[in-house]
Amino acid sequence: MALEKAPNAEPSTEPGIEPGIDLRIVPRSEAEAVVAKATLAGAPDPHRPPRHQPLPLAGAAVAAGFPSPADDYIESRIDLNDVLIRHPSSTFFLRVSGDSMQGAGILDGDLLVVDRAIEPRAGRVVVAVLDGAFTLKYLNRHRDRWRLEAAHPDYPPLELSEGDDARIWGVAIHAIHSL
Amino acid sequence: MLIDGNNFYASCEAVVDPAVLGRPLVVLSNNDGCIVSRSAEARALGIRMGQPYFQVQRQLERLGVIVRSSNYALYADMSQRLMSVLEEWLEALEIYSIDEAFGLLHRPGGGGRSNGDRSGGDLTAWGHALRRDVRRRLGLPVAVGIAPTKVLAKLANKWAKTAPTGGGAPPAVFDLGACPAAQAEAVLEATAIEDVWGIGRKLSRWCRLRGVAHARALRDLPTGELRHRCGVVGVRLQQELRGRACLPLELAPAAKRETCVSRSFSTPIDNREQLREAVATYTSRAAEKLRRQRQRAGALTVFVRSSPFNGTSFYANAATVRLPLASNDTAVLLASALPLADALFKPHKPLQKAGVVLQELQDQATLQHHLLAPLPPEQQQRRSALMATIDRLNRHYGSGTVQWAACGLGAPWRMRRSRLSRAATTRLADLPVVRAVH
Repeated sequence: MALEKAPNAEPSTEPGIEPGIDLRIVPRSEAEAVVAKATLAGAPDPHRPPRHQPLPLAGAAVAAGFPSPADDYIESRIDLNDVLIRHPSSTFFLRVSGDSMQGAGILDGDLLVVDRAIEPRAGRVVVAVLDGAFTLKYLNRHRDRWRLEAAHPDYPPLELSEGDDARIWGVAIHAIHSL
Repeated sequence: MLIDGNNFYASCEAVVDPAVLGRPLVVLSNNDGCIVSRSAEARALGIRMGQPYFQVQRQLERLGVIVRSSNYALYADMSQRLMSVLEEWLEALEIYSIDEAFGLLHRPGGGGRSNGDRSGGDLTAWGHALRRDVRRRLGLPVAVGIAPTKVLAKLANKWAKTAPTGGGAPPAVFDLGACPAAQAEAVLEATAIEDVWGIGRKLSRWCRLRGVAHARALRDLPTGELRHRCGVVGVRLQQELRGRACLPLELAPAAKRETCVSRSFSTPIDNREQLREAVATYTSRAAEKLRRQRQRAGALTVFVRSSPFNGTSFYANAATVRLPLASNDTAVLLASALPLADALFKPHKPLQKAGVVLQELQDQATLQHHLLAPLPPEQQQRRSALMATIDRLNRHYGSGTVQWAACGLGAPWRMRRSRLSRAATTRLADLPVVRAVH
């Protein structure tokens, strides 16, 4: 089976479609997979979609005879939520637009994982609020002043005056892009 | 203690959209009816709560106020985040509403929550630390009221937001249990009797007639008279005001006895077909809720009403039907609800609102098998598998992905949310954009 989707991922939602108004066509194989899961699993019906990978059932089928020698080695599957998110309640996702952070490995269109619980320190990639928009920059210390720097030679740094620290919205911890 | 979000809806909008940060913003109720939340900047412009949108639309435009429809997906997500941060801070938490929670913590140096001891430690600094943490992690402003009982905590919270400070910002954190006795008395006197939490209209009217105008006067009434006149409810309130806790935290929400889905229509409904569609839509929503709660309904009520403002004579009516066998099957519930919708419809009575209430809820597990069950067990099982599948599809691909034809398509009466912001924290396609362009 393919990887379970993260709770926040909604693959087939097109922008601009009001939920609850029209029927949407989903790829048949996907729809069937969901149907099969619902019927086979006897509908566990959690209050919300599962947050974690299901545990593997390697040992569950052994009813008699020798227990499986693998039973002692069962671990839960790798959950990307655990890898990418340290503080679920303060983690937000943003979409990157532009190439000024290319030097930091952050590309146009990347999915950015931002954790607001992390202290913004020098050297961190931060989301700052500039002119009423989210902007992605390195936060750095230069001659006793804080400044925001792009990871691109064409863009000059931006000095922060005192009391501007409130404009740091969060600290970016991962950028996810498809290859 | 009581913690609540300041201007919660407006604050949520500002968290995910920096363009509205620091600007006057109002959020409208369902159907863009009236103002239900204002940013501090909008409040400063003198815009009042509850004003109908159509009355102030021009004025808002002139003042440059940003207007948003209620974005429940965003508010619910931010609320869950808020509550989970608060849970880290408190020993126990009762989630009271989307933006309010009662929390329990013990005052350092004795003086637990069950007595009015004022000698214990001051928790104001602690409250400010909590505020800063919520602010940093979620971007939401909150106010904290600290006191030995729920009624007093609610009162302290109000004071934290509204205390006169001579032009400065309100304190945002107020510890009624640690302030000087004279100030505590003044706070109680400044709290109008109608604003005491849980007082109800009957009791507050009696208090007014009796000359009891504020919380302190109610606290100091002779208990005997209060018991005689207002029964245990009044005595409990008084005890709470005296600092003796009578209302414990409700940590596990009680199982629901009924569930209701109702909406106002964006345009009045004056034909039977549209009313059927609306009632079918609400019924299937309610059935979905029931299945999520693992409950079945024994009875179903449909209610309708016309607008009280449109000049024609007011019409409101309701009809109830008992189900032969408790059910949470959408098809079964629809078969009961639609005839009621037909019966309630009156030509020449344009309807403004309708709703479906599912009653006599019982646990799915405790349902007894019925001799006259309409379907044999294996067919029953197929029905519940079908419902589970539909719920799963709708959860996975967005609500309304699979629905009953009776609910109609693209109905014109659906809720108006013309100024809805994006589901910025819950939908991948709606994520806020961060610019990397300079």
